[in-house]
Amino acid sequence: MGRYVLRRVASAVVTLWVLATIVFVMVNVLPGNVGRRVLGPFALEDDVVRFNHQIGTDRALISQYLTSIKRVFTLDFGNSYQSGEPVKDIIVPALFRSAKLAVLAFVITIPISIAAGIFAARRQDKVADRAVVNTGLATSSIPDFVTAAVLMSVFCVHWKLGHVFADPPPGTSVIGQLPYLLTPAMALVIAYFGYIARMSRAGVIDGLQSDYARTATMKGLSKGQVMRKHILRNSLAPTITVISVQVGYLFGGIIGVEKVFNYHGLGSTIFNAVTSHDIPVLQGAVLLVGIVYMLSTLVADIIIAFLNPRVRLEASR
Amino acid sequence: MDYRLFDRVRRNVTPIELDTIESYAQGRIARREFLRRGSMIGLSLPVMAAVIAACGSDNNGSSGGTAAPGGTAAPGGTTASGGTTAPGGTAAAGNIKQGGTLRIVAQKPAGPLDPVAMADLGTYMPVTTCFDYLVDALGGDVRPMLAEKWAPNADGSVWTFNLRQGVKWHDGTPFTSADVVATMDRLAGSNLKASIAAGATKALDDFTVEITLLHPDGQFPQQVGAYNPQSVITPKDFALGTTLDQRKTGTGAFKLTKYDAATGATFEANPDWWGGKPFLDKLEYTFSDDLATMVSGLQGGAADAITQYSVVGGDAILNDPNLVTEIIRGAAHRQIWMNCREGDFTDKRVRQAVAYGLDRQALLDTILKGKGDIANDHPIAPIFPFFDASQPQRKRDVDKAKQLLSDAGKAGLAATMYFPKLQEIPQLAQIVQSQLKDIGMNVTIQQEAVVDGEEWCKVYDSTKEPAGCDGGKDFGIVDYGLRGVPDVYLVKAYATGEWNSAHYISEPFRAAVKAYQSSLDLDGQKAAIKTIQQIANEDVPYAIPYFYNILFAHTKKVTGIVATGLGHFYCGKAGFTE
Repeated sequence: MGRYVLRRVASAVVTLWVLATIVFVMVNVLPGNVGRRVLGPFALEDDVVRFNHQIGTDRALISQYLTSIKRVFTLDFGNSYQSGEPVKDIIVPALFRSAKLAVLAFVITIPISIAAGIFAARRQDKVADRAVVNTGLATSSIPDFVTAAVLMSVFCVHWKLGHVFADPPPGTSVIGQLPYLLTPAMALVIAYFGYIARMSRAGVIDGLQSDYARTATMKGLSKGQVMRKHILRNSLAPTITVISVQVGYLFGGIIGVEKVFNYHGLGSTIFNAVTSHDIPVLQGAVLLVGIVYMLSTLVADIIIAFLNPRVRLEASR
Repeated sequence: MDYRLFDRVRRNVTPIELDTIESYAQGRIARREFLRRGSMIGLSLPVMAAVIAACGSDNNGSSGGTAAPGGTAAPGGTTASGGTTAPGGTAAAGNIKQGGTLRIVAQKPAGPLDPVAMADLGTYMPVTTCFDYLVDALGGDVRPMLAEKWAPNADGSVWTFNLRQGVKWHDGTPFTSADVVATMDRLAGSNLKASIAAGATKALDDFTVEITLLHPDGQFPQQVGAYNPQSVITPKDFALGTTLDQRKTGTGAFKLTKYDAATGATFEANPDWWGGKPFLDKLEYTFSDDLATMVSGLQGGAADAITQYSVVGGDAILNDPNLVTEIIRGAAHRQIWMNCREGDFTDKRVRQAVAYGLDRQALLDTILKGKGDIANDHPIAPIFPFFDASQPQRKRDVDKAKQLLSDAGKAGLAATMYFPKLQEIPQLAQIVQSQLKDIGMNVTIQQEAVVDGEEWCKVYDSTKEPAGCDGGKDFGIVDYGLRGVPDVYLVKAYATGEWNSAHYISEPFRAAVKAYQSSLDLDGQKAAIKTIQQIANEDVPYAIPYFYNILFAHTKKVTGIVATGLGHFYCGKAGFTE
């Protein structure tokens, strides 16, 4: 198991390097002059030239590339072009904000949708099953930002039951932050419920029809024991994989929801960095999302290996 | 008319002051315009009061002139007037309770909080919350801020400002003329380089400065007030590039306590403010770059006020009975620029065709829901006292437009129009595209990634005057905010290269602008402006379809916010009524 984890970590380092290279290429194909963009249209040309020299965007591409790779592995992304703040002071708070929203969304979504999937699988092709499947299909087919906008209009603006801005005031306690985050989290719950419920339903149906489930039943185990000890352990692997991928998306991809609720997570940080040509922030934030992706898939693999002895066995070879 | 009193006043004034007094006495300007012009040139309130008293009911303000820039227009729906109270003056309304936190949802700053280099409303807001100007030129009248009195010399080329004493920076150090000299010297190399040179500002003593201009300007105080936000007075050791969040200071009503460029800013009241202790304890700005989010924030109770918003996307506010929209009528406008130097628009008949192809009333009604004034392809708005109303208004004439295009050999012209994603401009671009289709033009529209970055303002040919800022394009739309006088539009967009997107060169126009700027009396300004209007309308480097009203809104329990025509707020006398 230890070797398996080490192998995954080594592969993550390579992935990080590839990701850093892709980010570097992407930011260097963005059109325009960084100095002019940052200093504004009224800045003197001399100041623009001086700024570009100061931040190194007038250096040879290879030199800039080596610097950017060094930054990735030292986790020192320098200062934001836009605000002059250290990049870590921008992306780490954004990471925590994204984490808060993602955790709340998953804390609600995972138990509800897995339970709904199991419930539907055990009633395959019955009304309850169709209700879960169709509801899930309907909710997951609506873009999350549309759901967010509707929830915002109804619950926050019209009924005033939620907070329009999801960023709580500084100093708000953890419990006190929940009401602020609940409505955007619900938008994500609605978006992901169907997806995760259908995955778990499919896995459980496979498990219910498997030979090992039949053998376990013939051995005299109760339905509950068969479900807990055999079916769930096997059938949840695809669901866990899906969840791990969604974790990364929740950290960096929910720009629409963040925009609707004026929430400043990693998604909107990346968006703003792109539009303002803030390369250090863009690099730092994208790589942070990449690290989150890798960590979440690593954790998912470890959980799957823990749940499924066959995976552990393969990993140890 | 009390001639004895009137003559006594006349004997003790300068020629510039005399012209303003005579203009009022003869009914050529209204009382409001008299106050505006009088305050601009430093006429004291007792003198102006004496003139008004001497003129008595012969001149009750109904004659001549029009509302001053920044004045209020008749509101539509559940709106009220606003935007004309002095930041350091008395409160706009009574019954304001002491205390409370005013939550404002504002545009996200597009750049660092650098007072000299800032160029957007999002940055103006936090910076001007902490810093003050020499004068307050918000409501058209020019009133004291850090300067208590000011006066020009005989030809308006040298201005003397007497500074307020006892003002302290937020760190407790005293404000003196050295701060003003340093600020003006910094601005001489950037924002005020058309008006002053480095070293042109001298401290006569600790609280008196003398500014020698490059050329006479009877309206110079407008350059050191809120319509020129970069002219905020900063400490003497505030170097170019120093930002407010790096060095939290100011002389303003609020002190910056926390700033996060992504999320917002908080300020605490400055109990030692020269304007008196503010009613509010705190200000909280929440930044957003999405109008829908801002509107939801105000409607959903997450904010008490919203900075400048557009009718497009903000109509929910206009229709909300719980909110109050304040309207500032002015000269803010959009310019549809056409490159006069190269490309398909060098022939003025093509540019005229575009102008004749516009249905201005439809644009005004559709995009602004009537909240604006129709323009006539020049930047002189009807609110200016020297506006020449006798000029015929250009109306849509599709046949004439087609003929002009045909005569120029450009029938069926295809062109790409570039525009920023700013307020109603995308809708304007779409409708202009549709209207120009009627005259046979095939216009493709393309939105720029940024509002006013290099895509619009890149100096792509700085060796050839005017260099201009058009990103190398031929056709586009650009925004111009409200100014108290039209000098910025006339000089920067038309007469020099700095913002001259159209690359327009016209020596007669430049001469007329020079004549306007050097005129110290209203008649001289009117004559020059008449020429300016005619040349701009004829040459059409910029088709200008309308002047839009500035809108901002707040809840009913908020009062006393003073907004500039550029959109930023003064909250020194703002508060809650309940």
